[in-house]
Amino acid sequence: MSEQTDEAAELLTEDAVEAVTAERAEKLSTAPKADDGIAVPSLGFLGMLRWTWRQLTSMRIALVLLFLLSLAAIPGSILPQRSIDPSKVLTFFQSHTKWAPILDKLQLFDVFESVWFEAIYGLLFISLIGCIVPRSWAHFKAMRANPPAAPRNLKRLPVHASFSTTAQADEVLKLATKRLKGRRFKTVRGEDRAGGWVSAEKGFLRETGNLLFHLSLIGILTGVALGHFLGFKGAVLVTEGTGFSDSVTSYDSLTLGPWVGAQDLPDFSFKLNKFTASYQESGDQFAQPRTFDAYVTWKATQTAAAKNVDVQVNEPLSVNGTNIFLEGHGYSPVVEVKDGKGHVLYNGPVTFLGQDEYFDSSGAIKAPSYTAGGTDLGFQGWFLPTAFVPSGQMPASIFPAAQNPMLILSAYSGNLNMNGGGDQSVYSLDTSDMKQLSVKAKGASAASGNALELKVGQTATLPNSLGSITFVGVKQWAQFNIAYDPGQKVVLPSAILAVIGLIGSLGLRRRRIWVRVSEQADGTRLVEVAGLARTEGATPTAEVTQTAQSLAAAVRQPAPDGASA
Amino acid sequence: MSINENFAHYSNLFIALALVAYAAAFFAYCGEWAFGTSSRFGRSIEKLDAKGGKAKGATVGKQAAAPAVESVNATDGGNGVTVLTRAVAEDEEPTISGGNLRAEIVGRFAVMASFIGFGFHFAGVLFRGLAAHRVPWANMYEFSCAAALAMSFAYLTLLVLRKKVRWMGLPVTAIVLMTLGIAYTLLYTDAEELVPALHSYWLYIHVTAAVISTGAFGVATVATALYLLKSANEEGSLSRFNGTFDRLPSSVALDRTAYRVIAFIFPLWTFAIMAGAIWAEKAWGRYWGWDPKETWSFIVWVVYAAYLHARATHGWKGKAAAYVALAAFACVLFNYFGVNTLLTGKHSYAGL
Repeated sequence: MSEQTDEAAELLTEDAVEAVTAERAEKLSTAPKADDGIAVPSLGFLGMLRWTWRQLTSMRIALVLLFLLSLAAIPGSILPQRSIDPSKVLTFFQSHTKWAPILDKLQLFDVFESVWFEAIYGLLFISLIGCIVPRSWAHFKAMRANPPAAPRNLKRLPVHASFSTTAQADEVLKLATKRLKGRRFKTVRGEDRAGGWVSAEKGFLRETGNLLFHLSLIGILTGVALGHFLGFKGAVLVTEGTGFSDSVTSYDSLTLGPWVGAQDLPDFSFKLNKFTASYQESGDQFAQPRTFDAYVTWKATQTAAAKNVDVQVNEPLSVNGTNIFLEGHGYSPVVEVKDGKGHVLYNGPVTFLGQDEYFDSSGAIKAPSYTAGGTDLGFQGWFLPTAFVPSGQMPASIFPAAQNPMLILSAYSGNLNMNGGGDQSVYSLDTSDMKQLSVKAKGASAASGNALELKVGQTATLPNSLGSITFVGVKQWAQFNIAYDPGQKVVLPSAILAVIGLIGSLGLRRRRIWVRVSEQADGTRLVEVAGLARTEGATPTAEVTQTAQSLAAAVRQPAPDGASA
Repeated sequence: MSINENFAHYSNLFIALALVAYAAAFFAYCGEWAFGTSSRFGRSIEKLDAKGGKAKGATVGKQAAAPAVESVNATDGGNGVTVLTRAVAEDEEPTISGGNLRAEIVGRFAVMASFIGFGFHFAGVLFRGLAAHRVPWANMYEFSCAAALAMSFAYLTLLVLRKKVRWMGLPVTAIVLMTLGIAYTLLYTDAEELVPALHSYWLYIHVTAAVISTGAFGVATVATALYLLKSANEEGSLSRFNGTFDRLPSSVALDRTAYRVIAFIFPLWTFAIMAGAIWAEKAWGRYWGWDPKETWSFIVWVVYAAYLHARATHGWKGKAAAYVALAAFACVLFNYFGVNTLLTGKHSYAGL
């Protein structure tokens, strides 16, 4: 993962390479040299281990792992995923009976939790750590070390400026040090056979940013893991007028982190008073939702004072770090089912699930018999919020709001099998022990088949004195996601640091400038300024030119009494 | 607040006018390249190339290492001192018209039409926002218009700043024209209010960052593709088009432009994903859920990260890295068109 692994060798121009051969020693990498190839040397077990480690932490392997990571993520976006929508996975299984089990074996429905996906990013992070730790140490040393001695021949560098002066070498070098320090270069002075020099370097923050970015990635991964272990997420569907209290049984689904127990769930409760939605009524975005409001009364603890809040899609309710999000909504027609003797078998709202943008909703009404062993009644079919009944066709909803609600139900009698073992879907009937009743209404449209059509307030009587069903009214339900993720407190700061690091790593330039003063045959001194980029395309042409010009302007000509800077 | 139908109508009108102006600019840029090729200057360059062709091919491997051109400047440093500066020269920008008068005139017209097109385009996007009382990039039509505007803006700003980007004129205008055309004909949807999921100030932050990033990745892709063609030409292939290629910057300069744009925009793309994650946490209760859009944004991020790494790795630098950048942009396109139309996820809003 080291971004400038081969920086020293890569980024210097050919001219300059010679001049800075000495620097090669400080090449910031643990990676093997490029020409190492992938030939396995015979080095024994320890040697093999070292070789494996060096390969793993090399940039090539990091690159390969990055490609693998992106390729591995693709099936997760194309195939249905259990972590996102388990019902879609079931549908896929039903329609691809041959392929689905094979794909499942390959964990392709759990891509992001699969062994192979985890292996890729696990190796990537090992590679990253193996690269970043030695680099951090090297960078720490480089920041403390002095810039390297000036190359003998500054003319070989990509940018070079010179002038002659009668000023003393010491004066020029002092001035140069001052100027470069003023530009926040790190400077050092030295002398060799050719004369005195100043060596200056700037842009260490680039590597600091690079390291910060990669370290922050480890922070993000740590935060994700923390959230997984310490957090929980659940979902609950609440109909208007009913409520929710935070205990394991009241969730429709609940995933607890491995380190979270049921007793750790917070003690809040809330009640959905009213849900309202508005929709686009014209134009090419007809029926698109415009507002959702879930008016909720909540208590932080059982004894706390009740508060009212309007929960919206982007306005979750936050209770002591646990957030409650509005996720979905739908209709619950209220029905009353009586048996032949007038006993009320069921009276209340029944949750129907919207199937399309106009909320044609499907569901089932289950009315177990009044006495054990008696005849159960069951209904399944559709709820249409705004029913339109074209002649000779199936009625359908033409708008998502409840403007002309209608129930279209098939009726069954017999045994609902609700006492048998195993979970039964709330949204469909088990009709294996039931008989469909002939309930076709006289005025009903031909295409609707053997089904009841009820509007609000209407009652249908079932044949054979089995009972009746009344469509009492319409309520709405809202689905809430309830989530607690303490890992966010680590992920967010890490992500912010990662972006800051990235800006430093890609935006800053690292470069060196040298000033050299040498005696000339005519008794004057030659002042040379030269620069070298340590990151691509960062040749400090302007800085070198300006430094040379400001030096030329500042040293007196001739200068018997030193500088006046 | 209700939609201002008049403004919405003006917006559509301005976008249509922008399409006309960009189309005119596109044909004028084409004309500039075409007339320029047949100029005497172009032909003389071809001849020179034919002579120096062999030597040129031989040095290609070291393009990055040995800058051939140097500029020497003598300036008065004050106090009567002469400062001699010698630096690796920035590339001379070859002119597209190649000195041909007809090409020059058509080229000027092209730039003018680009500016006029940008003016209409900007007005179209602005009135869309005024009509709907919100940022005008909340569905696929608006996002396409805005990303194209960002691209057009980037090119014209660099032009105004006298950067050497004249060579981008034709490809950038072509892409802007295509994007706007697709938006206008296939993706159009009325200016309306937003679905509840978009009622958030994060729409301004997250989507704006995504719009700018997408436009910039597009510019980088133009440079990358031209780099690959140009370096193939420098190695001796496509020699039939020498006259055209010689009016492009050197492969080194093209490669550097692509790298600079990507290095500049990659942190912004990272930020766009991060802002999206923060928004997702607020709207859906989790900051990351491998929704198809999240997955593909991640893939785009990883492939561009691979490009940045490849560029610093022996054996990958140069062409191999350029192909990685092209793959990354293919992922950007799929993340936009593919994910929005083929895959269902949480990023499906009005009018796609």
